[in-house]
Amino acid sequence: MSRLVAAALVVALLQIGFLSWVITGRAAILRNGAEVLLRIEPVDPRDLLRGDYVQLAYGISNLPVRLIADRPPEAGLSDGETIKVRLAKTADGTWDAVAAYLGEPPAEPEPEQVDIAGRIPPGWALSPESTVPVAYGIERFYLPEGEGLAIEIDTRMRPFTMAVAVAEDGTAQIKALMDGEDRLYEEPLY
Amino acid sequence: MANYAARVKEDIARWAAAGLVDVAQAERLRADVDAREGAGFSFGGVLAMFAGLFLAAALLLLVAANWDAIPRLLRVAGFFLLIVGFYSGGAVLKDHGRRAFGEALWIAGAGAFGASIALIGQMYHLGGTEAAALITWSLGTGLAALLLNSKPLTIAASGIAAFWLFSHGGDFWDGTAFPDAFPLLAVALWLVSLRTGSRAARELLLLSLLGYVIVLALRGSLVTIGSLLLLGSGALFAVAVLFLRQLDLVLRLGGRILAYCLLGALTGLALLQARYLDDVGAFTVLAALNFAAIAAALVLGGARSAGLRRIAYAGFAVELVAVYVITLGSMLDTVSFFLAAALVLGALSVAILKLERRMADRTLFGGGTA
Repeated sequence: MSRLVAAALVVALLQIGFLSWVITGRAAILRNGAEVLLRIEPVDPRDLLRGDYVQLAYGISNLPVRLIADRPPEAGLSDGETIKVRLAKTADGTWDAVAAYLGEPPAEPEPEQVDIAGRIPPGWALSPESTVPVAYGIERFYLPEGEGLAIEIDTRMRPFTMAVAVAEDGTAQIKALMDGEDRLYEEPLY
Repeated sequence: MANYAARVKEDIARWAAAGLVDVAQAERLRADVDAREGAGFSFGGVLAMFAGLFLAAALLLLVAANWDAIPRLLRVAGFFLLIVGFYSGGAVLKDHGRRAFGEALWIAGAGAFGASIALIGQMYHLGGTEAAALITWSLGTGLAALLLNSKPLTIAASGIAAFWLFSHGGDFWDGTAFPDAFPLLAVALWLVSLRTGSRAARELLLLSLLGYVIVLALRGSLVTIGSLLLLGSGALFAVAVLFLRQLDLVLRLGGRILAYCLLGALTGLALLQARYLDDVGAFTVLAALNFAAIAAALVLGGARSAGLRRIAYAGFAVELVAVYVITLGSMLDTVSFFLAAALVLGALSVAILKLERRMADRTLFGGGTA
């Protein structure tokens, strides 16, 4: 084997190795992460279909600033902060935000509570009476070509929920799109 | 390249006719030009590269279609096999002298890597991570360029980085998307390009960096960033005029660095002018500065860089039209500005022509060292 072919194999193995590492990381969240059920909110229809994924917003996507326990005393503008949002199970089985922390949460979440990691885009007012958008990296749901629109119309007709796996560090991973008790699209590990 | 080769051959014929080189030397020089020209460009090679790019585009679109007839894991495995096959196949082809086909397959390999990233994003519904995906793709391709010593892969990596910059930099209202890290990526790819010897990649990176500064100025302060760009470009120009050979050891752009410095300086001035559109005094001063910068660049570096001359002429035309359209106070003010500029540049040209004639005389008759 020539030196060049060896170099080519090294390149291929490095790239494949990296890709496999991403896949196993995500599969690990699906396998081991705590499962929470989030309410899906209807999104402005103009934003809905971009290519073959559905743009989603959740009940926790708009976070009331008063929930942020360690927010800065004077109400400034957000600067792209990461945030941990503490979710708790509600009576109807879905999970909702009960507190949020810009820094490390002071205490471990109680049973039936999970911390999910998100990010506030810059330029939003952090005053107590307002809400800020939070992105959790689960705002997009890919579908086979042509199936997107039907799903979006449905989300405006009746409430859908999303089963989401949350890793120890708060990273969220979409697990299944739910219509009531039915799992519409269940994600296999790989 | 073909152009240059034709010119050099004309020159060689002239030198041979004038007896500056003998017939055998002229023959050897012509052979050398032919050999280099052949290495630089071939239609077959370009078509092979197009084929490689089409293959890469087909793979990306195959992922975008989210074709679910093949189970996911099989799709992933298929793409992994393509990555191995394209890179090693390209290496085998290059070993057997099929240089163009080898490079084209490597481009397809980079495409397969990008398609795999997209596929994983799709499998796990990774939202809002295009920036991370594009950076990963660019870095992975840059790594391949480095290890395989490939110019086309270097250009591809730089092109992906530029695409990331321009697809996200224009998104003014979403600060999360701003490609802050672009200069770092550009420096990394620049180092790769020094190793692989791809000047085209360096020029692409330089233009992208200029675009980055423009976006930065539009989002932040036109005055601060514009002035910094103007001063930085001017300083680099001065260094390039004085120490072109030494500077080129680092930048490896040949005389073109002069052209890019002028482009940077004129862009900086344009940013400043955009800020002072409604301030006649400042706008006039900046316009005068613009013409002065173009004249100075032509005098100091015009002989060394055809690119600089082209940018100087284009910059002159654009500024002339801009001043013409944006009347300075009143039309009569603009008339007097043009008249003054005509007088100054006219006087300057007389002085320079005289100087050039004197220098030409000295080299002809004195054999001087000027």
